[in-house]
Amino acid sequence: MKFQTDRLAPWAAYGVVAVGTLVMLLPFYFMFVFATHSRTEIFSLPPPMFFGDDFFNNLKILTERMPFWRNLGWSLYVAIASTVLTLMFCAMGGYAFALFEFRFKNALFGLVMGTMLLPSFMNMIPTFMIMDVLGWIDQPRALYIPGAASAFGIFLMRQFVGSSIPKDLIEAARMDGCSEFGIFWRIVLPLLKPALGTLGLITFIASWNNFIGPLVVMRSPEMYTLPLALRSLQSPVNTEWGALMTGSAIATLPLVVLFVLSSRQLISGLTAGAVK
Amino acid sequence: MKLPAALRLSPEWAPYVFLSPFVVLFGVFGLFPLMFSLYLAFQSWEPTSGLGAMAFVGLDNYAFALQDEWFWKSLGNTAWLALASGVPQHLVAIPLAYFIHTSFKRLRNGVVGAYFMPYITSTVAISILFSSLLSTDFGLINVGIKAMSELPGIGWLFPKHPVDWLNEPSNIKPAISMIVFWRYVGFNVVLYLAALQTIPKDIYEAATMDGAGRLQQFWYITLPSLKPMIFFGVTLSVIGGLQLFEEPFILTGGRGGSDQAGMTTAIYLYRMAFDFNDFGAASAMSWLLFILVALLTWLTNKAFAPRGPSA
Amino acid sequence: MRDGTQSMRSRRAWTGLCLLALLLPTAQAQETLTIAAFPAVDEIVRAAIPVWKRSHPTVDVKVVSRQFSDHHTAMTTALSTSFYLPDVMALEVGYVGRFAQGGGLEDLSRAPYNIKQFQSRYVPYAFAQATSRKGAVVAAPTDIGPGTLLYRADVLAKAGVSEEELTRSWDSYVAAGVKIKANTGAYLMSHARDMKEIVIRTGIQPGQGLYFDNQSNVLVTSPRFVRAFELARKVRQQKLDARVGAWSTEWSEGFKRGTIATQMTGAWLAGHLNTWLAPSTKGLWRAAQLPEGAFAAYGGTFFAIARGSPTEHKALAWEFIQLMTLNREVQLAAFKAQDAFPALLETYDDPFFEQPIDFLGGQKARLGWRAATTHIAAVDVHKQDAFADEVINTELDKVLDRGKDIATALADAQRLLRQRAYR
Repeated sequence: MKFQTDRLAPWAAYGVVAVGTLVMLLPFYFMFVFATHSRTEIFSLPPPMFFGDDFFNNLKILTERMPFWRNLGWSLYVAIASTVLTLMFCAMGGYAFALFEFRFKNALFGLVMGTMLLPSFMNMIPTFMIMDVLGWIDQPRALYIPGAASAFGIFLMRQFVGSSIPKDLIEAARMDGCSEFGIFWRIVLPLLKPALGTLGLITFIASWNNFIGPLVVMRSPEMYTLPLALRSLQSPVNTEWGALMTGSAIATLPLVVLFVLSSRQLISGLTAGAVK
Repeated sequence: MKLPAALRLSPEWAPYVFLSPFVVLFGVFGLFPLMFSLYLAFQSWEPTSGLGAMAFVGLDNYAFALQDEWFWKSLGNTAWLALASGVPQHLVAIPLAYFIHTSFKRLRNGVVGAYFMPYITSTVAISILFSSLLSTDFGLINVGIKAMSELPGIGWLFPKHPVDWLNEPSNIKPAISMIVFWRYVGFNVVLYLAALQTIPKDIYEAATMDGAGRLQQFWYITLPSLKPMIFFGVTLSVIGGLQLFEEPFILTGGRGGSDQAGMTTAIYLYRMAFDFNDFGAASAMSWLLFILVALLTWLTNKAFAPRGPSA
Repeated sequence: MRDGTQSMRSRRAWTGLCLLALLLPTAQAQETLTIAAFPAVDEIVRAAIPVWKRSHPTVDVKVVSRQFSDHHTAMTTALSTSFYLPDVMALEVGYVGRFAQGGGLEDLSRAPYNIKQFQSRYVPYAFAQATSRKGAVVAAPTDIGPGTLLYRADVLAKAGVSEEELTRSWDSYVAAGVKIKANTGAYLMSHARDMKEIVIRTGIQPGQGLYFDNQSNVLVTSPRFVRAFELARKVRQQKLDARVGAWSTEWSEGFKRGTIATQMTGAWLAGHLNTWLAPSTKGLWRAAQLPEGAFAAYGGTFFAIARGSPTEHKALAWEFIQLMTLNREVQLAAFKAQDAFPALLETYDDPFFEQPIDFLGGQKARLGWRAATTHIAAVDVHKQDAFADEVINTELDKVLDRGKDIATALADAQRLLRQRAYR
């Protein structure tokens, strides 16, 4: 009995995992296939199974209906700026929380964590008000600056700093006459590289996919980021499915590439912070 | 470059300085909206009349919310969706991670990567894609089901008529759960896989020598060691599930579907604010939701949080 | 404004330039009006810009267009904070009612607008739609959607049903549907809900809105609702509706393949059918008035000025609105290009109305639609109308799909609506 299940189990495992992988990836396959078909072809019976020849036509519709490449550019700009800023602020903040003692430390941290529990779009109107007072409506900075105070980011950083940087190291550096900034810059940051890589990736992905933020603060179509721009193609009256698929496929590609290049990094960093 | 001693940052002030950029941003963009929303929960406000139109109504909004049939309906929907999409995620992710951990060496990154893909894609792109896949007459999913129903042997399991996923109230919830499950199962696989990698191999070897079977090892060694990660993962699923918004929003065109079957509390809030123009009630409801999420997070903490040093 | 910090030197340079610009006398200041709209109103506005430029060469027009519901959400947000309001906003009729009750829009009946002097030039019901309960006129109508019954003449012929049979009464409409189903297999309509939509709009008394009356009493148990539900149920029981939602792919396929025989809708659908929904069915459709002498409006667009919009532009904004709504050339251009049925009465003598429409087999349908506009009555709007819409639709679904009893369904709706009527 034991002998049989031991032989069967690995094959069953391979089978299940293979089916699962297929299920995970199949929708993407179809997204890319549909991107090369026209609207009428997508909604015909039977639906297209393999690549068609309407890709450039779809691209034409896409670029006619909205400033697609510009939107792509903005998505990129905002994602990069968001990543850099978030890394800076959360690293500094996480360092402070992890290795120092100060008044209100726990209350403050609790408050920050608490904000993760509120649904984000309830902030729509007050955020809009602030943005207008600051004059940031329709400006990319309205997208990447607020996000830099990321509760998740500071949580991750605090975990990582707390578990991988010994206090004695800091003390020793201090006794050697190193300034506080010096300690942070020369000792702590290099040790934080894996966590920075992970948080950087997560932030980039979140910024790239962010839909509600731009919905609130962006007024002109030239300033939209990709998810919002794609949505403008979705009209109850006349949805251009082919162009929409093409746009979605192109919007997905950079992330896929980024992920493929850094999957090991992302996975190990995510878990290092969580397991402790 | 060393600054004169008077200007140098002392260890006492250092945390405040390092924390200040974050705190400033948080105060402006995190705290203010929070306070505003709390204030608003006690006001009656029809937004298009402008800010001056707010009128204090005390607990009226809360009373309204608690008696509102649709509010409870949305809570029920949210709970159903959170469970239906969340529980399978973990039930599947744990054994799956275990299989991958034990059976795949070279292909591991590729397989994990494949499972992680849905997570990194934008919800807008995904929902658009699934809107077309779930189309009643033309969607691939129904085409697939029809093909399966004609196979001998297992054909009887599958319905013969096309399933109306997006319009039939009883089908909307499974459709949404399917998509959310598809999206997040990979994320949880990654978490569990990493946790599995920290369990030392010697324990398993010792157990094998003692005669324990694979199932027993899984039950008595693997699962308890995974407890901290289960806690982390489940907490994230609880919070995410209760706040479910984007997937049902795009799939049902922002309305929540027929008979409000796909209307999660988050979507109902959005509609209260922007479709029915009742911001006071919407704020009150969001705070009620917040209390619920906080409560459930605390309960999860009690159930799963690691107590003391792990074995 | 560039993002990022500027050095001291470049900042000084900018200040200098600005001062210089202020000091130089400017011959003519170039102004810009911002118009917020959605497809296809944005196209209509853009098409009108050359006409505007003739009379206002120094005023540029910038059109900000968003997807339909995003646009209205953005307008709600802007109105709520009085920040970032456009000079002119396009609004669909459903939202005009909502915003009218709120008081965020300029009352155009007051000075300096005095829109009432133009009242007689607009289609009466459209003007009434823009008038709030207190008598404030919050928007100017630019296009309307007279309700019509589009039907497949070939399907009717095959089933041996005449147009008169189809439109004599609701009961004869349903009976015709049975015949059509039996002889051709086609459905009478796309969804039983359409039946309900029209019938509840018939027989509205003065002082009554659609779901609520002027005192916020709930009206959903009145006879017109009962009749609407009964007719819809009959349609469903006889399997006369295709159960497809409007604008879904199955709906458009229904038109392409001739499985949907009639559609009660706004006149503009004929244009959509011709352009992209089902162009291959050209010549097979005809338009008739709605059954049993019912007249209703489907949609309609308005232009409004928000109270919080920049004051220095309001006069210009009003002139722009006058151009869009009172200028014959602009209104007809919109009609011809985008099927936007004019709200301006004086366009109604244009020969365009007498032109046969190819898609409708050469029928001069615009004449019929024009005639319908005089019979359409405006319905008072209530703040909770959007919610009531949804509650009634949900109850109707339960009656149709799960066999719920009509009296119970309407009583449940009544209860739900009473809770909110006074909010």
